[in-house]
Amino acid sequence: MIRRTLVTLAFLVAFAVPAWAQKEIVVWHAYRGEEKVAFEKVVAAFNQASAGKGIKATTLAVPFDAFADKITAAVPRGKGPDVFIYAQDRLGGWIEAGNTVEPLDFFLDAPTKGRFLPTTMEAMTYGGSTYGLPLNFKVVTMIYNKKLVPAPPKTSTELVQVAKKLTDKGSGRFGLAYAYSDFYYHAALMNGFGGKVFDRSRNPTLNAPENVRSLEQLLKWQKTDGILPAEPSSALIKSLFNDGKAGIVFSGPWFLGEIAQGVDYGLAPLPLLVEAGNKPMRPWMTVEGMFIAAPSKNKEAAYELIKYVTDLQAARVLALEGRQTPANKSVYADPKVAADPVLKAFFEQVKVAIPMPNLAEMTMVWSPATTAMNTVVKGAAKPKAALDAAQAAVQADVARLRGKK
Amino acid sequence: MARSDARRRAAIGLTIAAGVAALLGWLLLYWAADAAQQSAAERAARQRAAAFASIVERAGPAGNRIRAAVAAMGGGDPSVERVRVVLLLGRQLVASTAPEDTGARAAPRALEMPEKPIYDVAQELRAAVQTNREEGSPRKDEIHTVHLPSGGIAVTAPLQRGEDVVGMVQLEMAPQGHAHRPALLQAVAAWLLPVALFLLLSIPLGARPVPLLITAAALLVGAVVAQTGLAASHLGWDSRRTIEQSAQQLRELGERASRALAGLPAAEPEPGSEPGSEQPAAGFPELPSFDTSLGVPAESEAAAAPLDPVAWDVDRFRRPLGLLTRDGTPAPEALASAQGKAVRFGRRAAASTGALSLTLLLLVAMGTAEAAAGAVVRHRVAYLYVLPALLGMTLLVFFPFVYGITLSFTDSNLYNTNQSLGETWIGLKNYAEVLSGFHLVQKTDSGWSFDYGSFYWTLFFTIVWTVTNVAIGVSVGLVLALVLNTKGLALRPVYRVLLILPWAVPTYITALTWRGMFHQQFGVINQVLQIFGAPAISWYDKPLTSYLTALATNGWLSFPFMMVVSLGALQSIPAELYEAARVDGASRWDQFRAITLPSLKPALVPAVILSVVWTFNQFNVIYLVTAGEPGGATEILITKAYKIAFEKYRYGYAAAYSTVIFAILLAYGTLQNRLSRATEEIA
Repeated sequence: MIRRTLVTLAFLVAFAVPAWAQKEIVVWHAYRGEEKVAFEKVVAAFNQASAGKGIKATTLAVPFDAFADKITAAVPRGKGPDVFIYAQDRLGGWIEAGNTVEPLDFFLDAPTKGRFLPTTMEAMTYGGSTYGLPLNFKVVTMIYNKKLVPAPPKTSTELVQVAKKLTDKGSGRFGLAYAYSDFYYHAALMNGFGGKVFDRSRNPTLNAPENVRSLEQLLKWQKTDGILPAEPSSALIKSLFNDGKAGIVFSGPWFLGEIAQGVDYGLAPLPLLVEAGNKPMRPWMTVEGMFIAAPSKNKEAAYELIKYVTDLQAARVLALEGRQTPANKSVYADPKVAADPVLKAFFEQVKVAIPMPNLAEMTMVWSPATTAMNTVVKGAAKPKAALDAAQAAVQADVARLRGKK
Repeated sequence: MARSDARRRAAIGLTIAAGVAALLGWLLLYWAADAAQQSAAERAARQRAAAFASIVERAGPAGNRIRAAVAAMGGGDPSVERVRVVLLLGRQLVASTAPEDTGARAAPRALEMPEKPIYDVAQELRAAVQTNREEGSPRKDEIHTVHLPSGGIAVTAPLQRGEDVVGMVQLEMAPQGHAHRPALLQAVAAWLLPVALFLLLSIPLGARPVPLLITAAALLVGAVVAQTGLAASHLGWDSRRTIEQSAQQLRELGERASRALAGLPAAEPEPGSEPGSEQPAAGFPELPSFDTSLGVPAESEAAAAPLDPVAWDVDRFRRPLGLLTRDGTPAPEALASAQGKAVRFGRRAAASTGALSLTLLLLVAMGTAEAAAGAVVRHRVAYLYVLPALLGMTLLVFFPFVYGITLSFTDSNLYNTNQSLGETWIGLKNYAEVLSGFHLVQKTDSGWSFDYGSFYWTLFFTIVWTVTNVAIGVSVGLVLALVLNTKGLALRPVYRVLLILPWAVPTYITALTWRGMFHQQFGVINQVLQIFGAPAISWYDKPLTSYLTALATNGWLSFPFMMVVSLGALQSIPAELYEAARVDGASRWDQFRAITLPSLKPALVPAVILSVVWTFNQFNVIYLVTAGEPGGATEILITKAYKIAFEKYRYGYAAAYSTVIFAILLAYGTLQNRLSRATEEIA
């Protein structure tokens, strides 16, 4: 009798164990359209490959507007997903808030680290520790109208030459059009001159001489050469390019979907800056990473998932079908990917790109920096004065946050 | 009858109040003693952690020397249950006295997957040391303390080689037990003595209420002061004793450490490892080789310097606390500060218990409590009906409100969310900072200009914004209501619907549409201006034009509400009044002034109050239409508070800002209500 009970119990346990061993991982993402389809395909392939280990991943699409706030609110309380995909700009804030993202140094080994472009890995690192694996990047590059600009300019002097020929303010035609008063776009110029927002010790350096120099360069393009339109909003730039009234645009992959059918466009790397000693313009890259939530109960399984999704096979699917530019560098050697001019162009550009700072203090920079850009661009202030004011504001805010008066 | 009632009430009040005071005093003492013991235990743990770290740094980098040092230090110390030493490079467990780390799992070995949290703590400490060095002032804990479920403390300190953190040493301390419960006898005495004395003293006093009350209050205060005074001196003695014990332990720690260092063996290579070979542990990914700067044996300059036990008494940022003097005795400052803490505790306890119990006494003795209880019992059904709403309101309105005000007295921001409110308390500093934004006007290169970041500019702009908006809303609404109210108007329902539309469309969409209309190049407003030959205006460049855009948008949004209110009020005016006025020969303007306006007052004034409050806090329009352009000139108080909370991450300061907004609106509402007596009926 006892023996029979024991045997029955053993059977039950034997059948129950696989169920217990089944690890469920929930993944949140904000993809739509073909990106979503490609991503779900990759996750399905992972589920198939890991069925033996008992790992199953389910995805949930969360609208982008609410995504970051949901993560901030839900994850630290244990109510969020196991893995989530987001850009690196909120990473610093989440780490400082605590109990949101899990550090991956323990899992990370040299071969895994070596798959990615080193700068994308930098974007996922905060305070010397790595918190996520980079999935893809977005970067601003040069998009030109092939009819108006047969050969894309390679240096800034060529750029001005080409643009001047195309500019006719009276009829609203411009050689170069980009959101130059937006600090994010201006960063390409600023970084090209060697300027930066924070130094290595995370102190703000908005009014560094290189930053001032970059603003003077922008003013030269705008006032002296006169190749830029006034008040550049994204709507204006889009309409100028689609109407064939703008030869060259500096923008990112988000712009490609808005280009009208009839426009024959090409992509090329941003020009070298002759004024900075032939250094390239270095745009900021936004890196989307896969992060493991700190309260997750299945961290090892989650790491298996993110290792799989950032690997070569998955990167190929995401690149060709999802139209993403993966952070995995070996995918660009794949013949199909190399044959795609858009993917190839962004890969060329990202080689000189700099990851956007992922510090929590970055949110305090946008407002004063935008004010500085606006005042300089409208001629209401000189570059040095405007940047000094912005630096003072950011420094005061950072000092108050860090508890120094 | 009433006079013996006074005596009864005072007696009952004193009993309750003295009971509450005694209980509170006893609880506070218990809590304070426990807190003191916890902090002493943590301090002792940190001392040991610092000592172990110092020894291991001198013993290393050879693994066998580290193990020998750990064994020597930990072996003779009953309060230390286990010690682990982890190096970042190679994720190695170099030494461990845990009973489960023997045999196949003996150190040195690579950490296993379930031990990831230990490695993460080491990385956290590395980041903390680096951050504190970069920022210049300590912000992150350099000694990590965790309270274990068993009651002990796990304390982790970083190991440094020069400036770099190369690993950590973790100690698990044995549980120390809790503080003894203070004597119940004292509390009971503090309760019953005043009551007994009062009953005695009240006989000669008779039944006069005021002297009775004064006697009761005096006895209560006396009891509270006596009880808290005794508690404070008790705590003071306890802490002196603890400091002396701690000093003694520190000396012993120093002696044990020098003995351990003297008895260390020579360095030997790690078993089974040659330089360059990396052996992965079972089931563990390959060891990294990308960080070779750490773990390089440097000359241990630290070994040359003598041991300094005094430097081991540190706080969580590894700053010295100064427990011992050079010759090993407790420093007088440490003793004095402990005494001071006890005295402060006594004062605070006396103040809070005294205030609370005195209030209780007054409430009961003066009959308020009795009256309130009577009312609840008399109308108990009504109160039962109101209870769900009361609970809902408390949870959803009052609690967040009180929490917000509490938050405004702290320095809560993104970096210190893990600290309790008490730790970040800064009193009225936030309010001082808010109200001291006097730098209103400043001199720049282009002459005098306003500093748009100043609180007073934003307040001025918010008031101007509110006044103009409400004025426009009321006048336009009133005019349209008068128009719509004319007798025999054709298509009146159609007009009404059309004029309600601005209110019906979501503010978000309206605001964005209007912002687009004011676009410098493509906006319809500028295009119309250009048709008439005027130059296109760049609306968001100057504060005045930017303000006009927001004014236009909000004016459009706010007139329907006023119109509807006015229409309702107009339709309730009896037509005979107008007839009578016409018969008397009054002109239309006189009719308007004498009949219409006074009848509208009871409806319009509450509507105006509402509108003022809504417009004062009209976040959507300002945030979406002008976004504060140019440079924060068109921000209102509420958008400023939002940016402070969510872009600058200063939650305490934003809470203070919001409380100031609330205070302004409360003052306005009360004043306006009183001045206009609007909520009273028409005579």
